[in-house]
Amino acid sequence: MTTFFFFILVLLTVLIGAYLYRVLQGPTIFDRVLGLNGISTKAIILLVVIGVYFERVDMFIDISTGYALLNLVGALAVAKYLEQKGLP
Amino acid sequence: MEILSIIFIVTGLFFLIVAAIGVIRLPDVFSRSHAVSLTDSLGAFLMLVGIALHEGFGKNMLKIMVVLALLYILNPVIAHATIRAALRSGLKPWKKENS
Amino acid sequence: MIFSLQIPLLLLLLVTAAGAIMVKDLMSAVLLLGTYSFFLSVVWGWLGAVDVAFVEAVVGAGLATVLFLLTLFGTAPKDTRFRRPPPSLAVLIVFPLLGLLLLYAAKDLPEFGDPNSPASVHISPIYLEQSYQETHTPNVVTSVLMDYRSLDTMVETVVIFSAGIACALLLRRHSK
Repeated sequence: MTTFFFFILVLLTVLIGAYLYRVLQGPTIFDRVLGLNGISTKAIILLVVIGVYFERVDMFIDISTGYALLNLVGALAVAKYLEQKGLP
Repeated sequence: MEILSIIFIVTGLFFLIVAAIGVIRLPDVFSRSHAVSLTDSLGAFLMLVGIALHEGFGKNMLKIMVVLALLYILNPVIAHATIRAALRSGLKPWKKENS
Repeated sequence: MIFSLQIPLLLLLLVTAAGAIMVKDLMSAVLLLGTYSFFLSVVWGWLGAVDVAFVEAVVGAGLATVLFLLTLFGTAPKDTRFRRPPPSLAVLIVFPLLGLLLLYAAKDLPEFGDPNSPASVHISPIYLEQSYQETHTPNVVTSVLMDYRSLDTMVETVVIFSAGIACALLLRRHSK
């Protein structure tokens, strides 16, 4: 089971690399925001899986909750900024 | 229980991989947002349910469910806000050239 | 097995940092810095430093991004694009040498998790063994931060609070 979760961790890291390509490459700023959103989703799952891997889920799940909440604030700030200012 | 959780996690991984391929391959922001919001939410949902089943009933399962609910509500909200900003700032949706 | 995930995580970190330096407009650089904080937080979590990971996630990825964005709100659009002169020859020579020097010095550091390293034989065992009896706090880091050094932490908070109030007073909008 530990090997299974380690495999999942590696796979999730590779998937984060795919999203990072979009953040780095993205022709418009909205691509970057979407990529950041996807990366944060992956990071939340990654932290929970790290917690399962270390058998300390109760500690790691708190970071995930913080991520999930703060991610909303950041992304909404970006969306509001871009809506008011238009494309940079 | 273990078998069920493994099935859930592998299905979730499948959806996450599909979402990653979509984010790389799709042509513009509006189509990519489908990959990020819909497929990603479903994949995260299935994976977190699988992990919660692996943990068994208790406090941890409840906490994972809280994160799950947050993700499931906030992820589409963020995608929607971003895409609305994209549309209002004058980006045109992608169209096939020969149609 | 524990160290093999660190390498891809650190690679992602490096790529993000390089990207944040090389992108053309400030907005993308801010977003890339947010991504950098995400990865850094995952690295901290992987190393087991849950407190640092939490602070990095909340402050680095969440609040710092919002603060940078608020700063960009107040600037004109022409300020957020910047062209950077190419680095001079001295920079190209000196900084890799400095990095090599740091790597050479890092060889003398004790191994990660080494029980005989100087940091973990001097005072850490006392905290680990006695902090629960003395403070009744389950988390050792919290007991050190909030109990043994509580005055220090309080005055730090006062400094940050007054700095925040001063910024808010200086930057407020004058509404008629």
